Amino acid sequence: MDVALDTLKFIDLTTSSIIFLFIVGFIGGLVSGFIGSGGAFVLTPGMMSLGVPGTVAVASNMCHKFPKALVGAIKRFRYGQVDIKLGLVMAASAGIGVQVGIKIQNHILEMWGQAGSNLYVSVSFVAVLVIVGSYVFYDAMKSSKNTGADVTPALAKRLQSIELWPMITFKTAGVRISLWFTVPVGFATGMLAATIAVGGFIGVPGMIYVLGAGGLVASASELVIAFAMGLGGTINWAMHGMVDIRLTLIILAGSLLGVQLGAIGTTLVREVMIKIVMGSIMLIVAVSRALALPKYLVQLGLMDTAPETVAFMDKASFIIMCAALTLGAVIILGAMFKARRANARLEQEEAFGQA
Amino acid sequence: MAQEVTKKQAFFRMIGFGVASAAVYAVVFQHASAVTEVFSRGGVYAAAPIATVFLVSYVHGGFASNLWSALGITAKTQTKTVKATQTKRPEVRATLNA
Repeated sequence: MDVALDTLKFIDLTTSSIIFLFIVGFIGGLVSGFIGSGGAFVLTPGMMSLGVPGTVAVASNMCHKFPKALVGAIKRFRYGQVDIKLGLVMAASAGIGVQVGIKIQNHILEMWGQAGSNLYVSVSFVAVLVIVGSYVFYDAMKSSKNTGADVTPALAKRLQSIELWPMITFKTAGVRISLWFTVPVGFATGMLAATIAVGGFIGVPGMIYVLGAGGLVASASELVIAFAMGLGGTINWAMHGMVDIRLTLIILAGSLLGVQLGAIGTTLVREVMIKIVMGSIMLIVAVSRALALPKYLVQLGLMDTAPETVAFMDKASFIIMCAALTLGAVIILGAMFKARRANARLEQEEAFGQA
Repeated sequence: MAQEVTKKQAFFRMIGFGVASAAVYAVVFQHASAVTEVFSRGGVYAAAPIATVFLVSYVHGGFASNLWSALGITAKTQTKTVKATQTKRPEVRATLNA
């Protein structure tokens, strides 16, 4: 059956674009399976660079995100890392955060147009990633010098000691805390998801430093939140006919391979590696988004820069964003390789000892 | 030996899931334009892309999982067992010393 597609909405697929989407899907899946999120932020601009309209790119990305999160969550649940209750409680308040985030976005779009909206997204990206990313990275370096094991942060300990009804116990996370302290973390996760499409950059650190969950459980439970929010978002976009199933399936082909490898990786490496990967990615992406700021400032007439310089910075921004994801994947694969080699050596020594 | 059987099982499962996954992809991409057009009609048609990705996550997810197992890339699950044996050892030593 030969049907002509709307060329304004759906691009012609070439071999190079298929390979590009598959590889980015795989790397994104690997990072998501390991730190719970973070793979999707390159896909939307990546698809747009192939000529896919923004709304179709966002919708197709979201449609691949929730089944990937589901597969990753099931895998990590089998390893005893997922706290379903924590994920669902967080997802409920994240849902409200998404709605508020969309309202703010629409308001900014009406007031300052597309350039204003893009500037808001980029400034949010830079501010959140620099503040949260620096802390995650600093904490990762600190615990890496010590034992590498997770210690309940002081803020989380303090909040857990406050008996404010209703108190909830999250068994897998080993946390008992008031529902009211989970709400702002979930809400901020949803707001960030609606703004920069990666809620996990707030969700995972929030679960670690505010609620007191370990890095493994926080990153695994984030997949439950990503599934719930992704499914909700996909229903919305698909009802408007914005999903390009071809793009979704190509990305999914790579990301389902990656997400399972990333999930396996969490059982092989030290827990602190999750924070190292997350902190590194966040800080590099912050640099990438900072380079994109002049473009929007010029469009709004707030800055005067040569078009060539703006074009160069825009290109550099996208390349650095891809580099952030690639670096994350390299750290994960490197740590997995080292851990497997160390395990093999240990097994060999044990076998030698027994003999 | 047990590891080898698991690898073998994983290999056959990988083939099974791989064939199913390839079949789903072949059907969609053989009629890519028609499928994309129908799936993007909106309204009740929204169920079609969602059902498809659930199906793909099952068959392709099964293929991916068994592929890594067949390649010997599996999760490390022994940590807890090792700890359990370590806690029992001092008891035995205490009895022997007494």
